[in-house]
Amino acid sequence: MADSGNAPKPSSSVKLVLLGEAAVGKSSLVLRFVNNDFQENKEPTIGAAFLTQKCNLPTRTIKFEIWDTAGQERFASLAPMYYRNAQAALVVYDLTKPTSLVKAKHWVAELQRQASPGIVIALVGNKLDLTNDEAGSGGDGESPGVDGEGDARKVTTDEAKTYADEEGLLFFETSAKTGYNVTEVFTAIANAIPETSLKTARGPGAAHAAARSEEQRVNLNGARDQNAKDGCAC
Amino acid sequence: MATTEFPRPASSASSEPVELASANPDSLHKVMHARRSEYVRQRRIRVKVGTWNVAACPGTDKDLARWFVDGEGLDTATKPAPASGGHDNIGLYVLGLQEVNQLTAPTQYLNKIFITDTSAEDKWKAALEAGLPEGYKFVAAETLGGLLVLVYASSEVFPIVSNVSTTTVSAGLLGGYIGNKGAVCCRIILGESTNLLFVNCHLASGVESSYVSQRIWQVEQIQEYARFDPIQIAGVEEDDKGKIGDEDFAFWFGDLNSRLDRLPGDEIRRLLMLHTRGEYDLSKKGLPREDSLEGEGVVVQMLPGSNDDAKETEPAKETGSGDSGADDDDSLSLPDPDEFPLDPSEDPASLQTTLQSLLPHDQLRQLMRGGKVFSDGWREGPIDFLPTYKYDVGTVALFDSSEKRRPPSWCDRILYRTRKYKEEFERKEIEKEKRRKKDEEMKAQGLEQAGEEEDVLFSYDPDNDGEEAASSAAKAYDEYDEDDDGNGRDGDEDSADRIRLDFYTSHQRITSSDHKPVSSVFTIDYDAVDLSLRAMVHGEVVRQLDRAENEGRPVVTIIVDYQSSQSQSRSSSDQLEVDFGDLRFGKRETCSMTLANTGGAPATFSFVEKPTADSLHNSQSVEWLTTKFVQSDAIGGTEPSKLGKEVTLEPGETVNAIIEAFIGDINQSRALNEGKATLDEVLVLRVREGRDHFIPVRAEWSPTCIGRSIKELLRVPELTGIRAHAKSLADKKGTLAAIPIDVNPCRNAPRELVALTQAIDMLADRVLADEQMLEECEIPSAPGWPFDEFTWQATDKETRSSQVADLIDALDQGQRILEYFPPETPSTQRLEAVAEVFILFLRGLTDGVVTVPLWDLIEQRSIPAILQGVTASESTNEADKGTILDVLQDYPEHHLSFLFVTTSLARTAAELAPVTKKDLEAIKNDANAEGGRGGFGATFRKSMSFRRGTASSGEAAAKAFIALNTRRAKEKKYAEVFGSVVCRRPNPERERDRKALEERQRALVELFIRKKGE
Ligand SMILES: Nc1nc2c(ncn2[C@@H]2O[C@H](COP(=O)(O)OP(=O)(O)O)[C@@H](O)[C@H]2O)c(=O)[nH]1
Ligand SMILES: [Mg+2]
Repeated sequence: MADSGNAPKPSSSVKLVLLGEAAVGKSSLVLRFVNNDFQENKEPTIGAAFLTQKCNLPTRTIKFEIWDTAGQERFASLAPMYYRNAQAALVVYDLTKPTSLVKAKHWVAELQRQASPGIVIALVGNKLDLTNDEAGSGGDGESPGVDGEGDARKVTTDEAKTYADEEGLLFFETSAKTGYNVTEVFTAIANAIPETSLKTARGPGAAHAAARSEEQRVNLNGARDQNAKDGCAC
Repeated sequence: MATTEFPRPASSASSEPVELASANPDSLHKVMHARRSEYVRQRRIRVKVGTWNVAACPGTDKDLARWFVDGEGLDTATKPAPASGGHDNIGLYVLGLQEVNQLTAPTQYLNKIFITDTSAEDKWKAALEAGLPEGYKFVAAETLGGLLVLVYASSEVFPIVSNVSTTTVSAGLLGGYIGNKGAVCCRIILGESTNLLFVNCHLASGVESSYVSQRIWQVEQIQEYARFDPIQIAGVEEDDKGKIGDEDFAFWFGDLNSRLDRLPGDEIRRLLMLHTRGEYDLSKKGLPREDSLEGEGVVVQMLPGSNDDAKETEPAKETGSGDSGADDDDSLSLPDPDEFPLDPSEDPASLQTTLQSLLPHDQLRQLMRGGKVFSDGWREGPIDFLPTYKYDVGTVALFDSSEKRRPPSWCDRILYRTRKYKEEFERKEIEKEKRRKKDEEMKAQGLEQAGEEEDVLFSYDPDNDGEEAASSAAKAYDEYDEDDDGNGRDGDEDSADRIRLDFYTSHQRITSSDHKPVSSVFTIDYDAVDLSLRAMVHGEVVRQLDRAENEGRPVVTIIVDYQSSQSQSRSSSDQLEVDFGDLRFGKRETCSMTLANTGGAPATFSFVEKPTADSLHNSQSVEWLTTKFVQSDAIGGTEPSKLGKEVTLEPGETVNAIIEAFIGDINQSRALNEGKATLDEVLVLRVREGRDHFIPVRAEWSPTCIGRSIKELLRVPELTGIRAHAKSLADKKGTLAAIPIDVNPCRNAPRELVALTQAIDMLADRVLADEQMLEECEIPSAPGWPFDEFTWQATDKETRSSQVADLIDALDQGQRILEYFPPETPSTQRLEAVAEVFILFLRGLTDGVVTVPLWDLIEQRSIPAILQGVTASESTNEADKGTILDVLQDYPEHHLSFLFVTTSLARTAAELAPVTKKDLEAIKNDANAEGGRGGFGATFRKSMSFRRGTASSGEAAAKAFIALNTRRAKEKKYAEVFGSVVCRRPNPERERDRKALEERQRALVELFIRKKGE
């Protein structure tokens, strides 16, 4: 039947990069967003994982092309390759680890200096489930914060929020474990991307892998043409 | 014709397996379609379609609502009123009118087309709206010339109508002639799901085959060129414009101008009159007055040939080629009496029988059966009404009484099609094509017999209108139909295309036009999308597809296989790392890893060039790694075949990547020695459409004497090599660094310099001895040997470079370098290798033996030998040397090194190009015999010229001169090689200046190489 009419138009694609100290939960956030899944002991990322995920907004569909980079210091020099043409960056810190916020601030500064001027940056404090906050504990009763093991929070919401406001960043506290606020981060980013910075998709004819070659990839020459004809719901 | 196949149970969830793995753009569409049942809810709608050629007759608008809305004017005399013919529960009213305004001239027509004239539209809208029940709302209208389509929806249906788009196709203009023909089309979407198409057309008139062709062409034009706005649902617009064929349900109606083929007009009239005369007896049927008008009388009196009195009532008709010459085709005989039982005394059904006998001559039906038009799934209900054309206006059933006496025909028609009908047609076409191909193959194989038999069914020749062809076409059609029904039932289980034609009728008693209106009601069961359900399913599907897309990405697994030398690599399952261990100057280390495509898709990958080249994080970048791909099976083979920079592997395939580490550059060596650069790199292996692999590669720099200052080297304690010393300093400091020079030197000359010069001396001796002893040993005669690299004997580069690296390693460890050579190494090669290291070492001195300030001081003295070249005069040379040594005196560290180098060179030159005492004496004697100081050159020339005749003393002198000459050439060449190696001075820009500088530097060295007393 007229289902072709239900398939949203080829979406605009948004290159998004995750930055932050190792083990703050970058990969876990992506896993939650993309697969709605969580792994307790996630192996560290060596390299940069590439994933795509579509996100339906009322007026448009956005296809996130996510680069989840390794957080280790020794790979820091490779980060520019990933954020250079990114339209959005998710800078993650661990709510229970103050040094990770320091590192996050470094990333924000570097992005503001080096990344494309219009980049949308979201500061994300992860592992909210380890705190006493109602929201983050996700109601499963498992989180240590709720069980009276004490609040593991080491970075107050105020502190991070104030900083985010000063720098003009989106700000969220999330839990990749419970899923709390994860979709919201991506939706907010999608909404914050200015329409003009979105590359309009080409026709379905461009669907060949060959056409999606180097130029679309991270560091090289910018525009990634994309051709998904699919829509999605976040 | 199959018309009713209704209702069928709603299809349950499709169990069709859905291909999730493929990430092609159609997937979402396919998956969503497969899961339709989860988000659609079946709904029923009744659609009333009406068509009427009003022939621009006045008063037709007054009749509109009566027949179209109220269903009046039916010919209850000849057929029973349709059971469900009422106007209850009509969801959509779709009206197609033709000739709503009279067009007489082409210019007028053009004006009508190009200048928006809504007066006709408004008039008809008003007429319809006046008749429609409460609550119906206007949906769409479109006009083209005299064509008008109007769509109205009930209050329940109206809210679920979306994506209304209308368009026109002017078939007349497209054909290159002006005519009032074409189509107005309207597309709507019901319930976000079901695409409905309405086409109201007016095709060319005329009976003859040329007009038939024209009509076919017009239909094709309409089908091809109609375009609708792209469908937009949930805020998302489709890429492409809509077209005919996209729809789920289509209705094609209008004045198709189909005529009765090959029947003389008068015969048709006569046949029909036999019925109408009796059936339309007003007194008998008691029809309302206004329906009948003066019709009855006319009908009764109507006989072939007696038509004169109706002439003035004929309305002005369209001009142009219209119907000219259409009526008098009497070349054919009457229909076969067997086909047409003409007995008028038969029961009332005899009109139906007559109609049935006429219908096979209907052009449209013939064309459809013949597959020439509307063949792709279009259907029409059974015709059980009188021809709709052409009547005298104002009469119920008086066929054209004008001079033209146009034969009655079914011009006005309603066709319909569902998606399923269309798809079935397409499927059959494919099958047919397959069978045709198979047939051809069989023929090709000589099985003509079989081929011909099968051919019969499909050999309809469209150009042949003979009876034979027609009947064979009909036969094919019938089989088609049967087949259709059989499959149709099966197909319906999966399909939501359910349609029922409730009735198809003309409104015979409407008399205000020369055409009778025709109407149908269809009941459609369609799937309306439940928006919230669909959003849910959609989200789920998208997530699945994204997941499949991500899981379907190419995957490459990397395993480190081996590394040359002592290095140890750590390569656990999740930690990939290459550690070359110690990396020495000039020593090439390799590491091989296996890359395997462990995913399900082909993987294309390459190493990213200089991933960190422009990054801010890097200190001084040192290029020390190279990568290449080689075929897996080639490893260990003779010559692994090198592949390109980018490699594609099919799933399961493997390839090897070789990483080579090498530092052979003095500047890099210096940077590493001083701790300004480190051997710490991350290679990025990029898998297209997949992830990037980071491969950290590191090595520990072995500090070396290459790339040091003399000052540093002098401060390396006597007993240790420089490496151990530098490392012990680094241990204290945490990082490699230049050796501190703020302490007293431990020696007068660099240990390495001493070792190298000693080795050269020893090897020079050895070479000479070997030349005497061994047949295969021959000292190259080129004067520059062994220091001039162009004189080096051909040996493979790798052996030489590893010899060089090993020698440097020995130097750095403070070991005796000569022991590093494998015993079988010829002495000439040893000497060459040591010479190479000697030059490398000197070049690598960061300050140089003769430093820049030192050189400047020497130049300031304006020393003749340096300015004009070394002369033959020993005394001037000695004086010049004295001046230079004066300068050097103040730089003891360099002074001594300089003497070490030059003395060694002088000694080597003397060894390899000996001038004996005897030689010297012979020359002296010769010179004395000449009685003067004619100088070497003159004496030499002379001795040569008199060679033959002179005594043995002369011969000895000549030999001596040759020896001396050889020595001088050697000294000169050595000086040329070492001038710039020993002296530091930035190169002047201009070529000429540079040459001059080199010349002066050469002179300096030559001055000190030349041996005293010769
Ligand atoms: N309790 C809790 N643990 C988390 C959360 N997110 C990640 N982790 C854990 O933190 C560790 C590091 O996560 P990972 O996603 O690999 O961090 P990355 O190095 O930033 O990509 C893993 O053991 C995760 O299971 C979270 O929201 N809550
Ligand atoms: Mg990670």
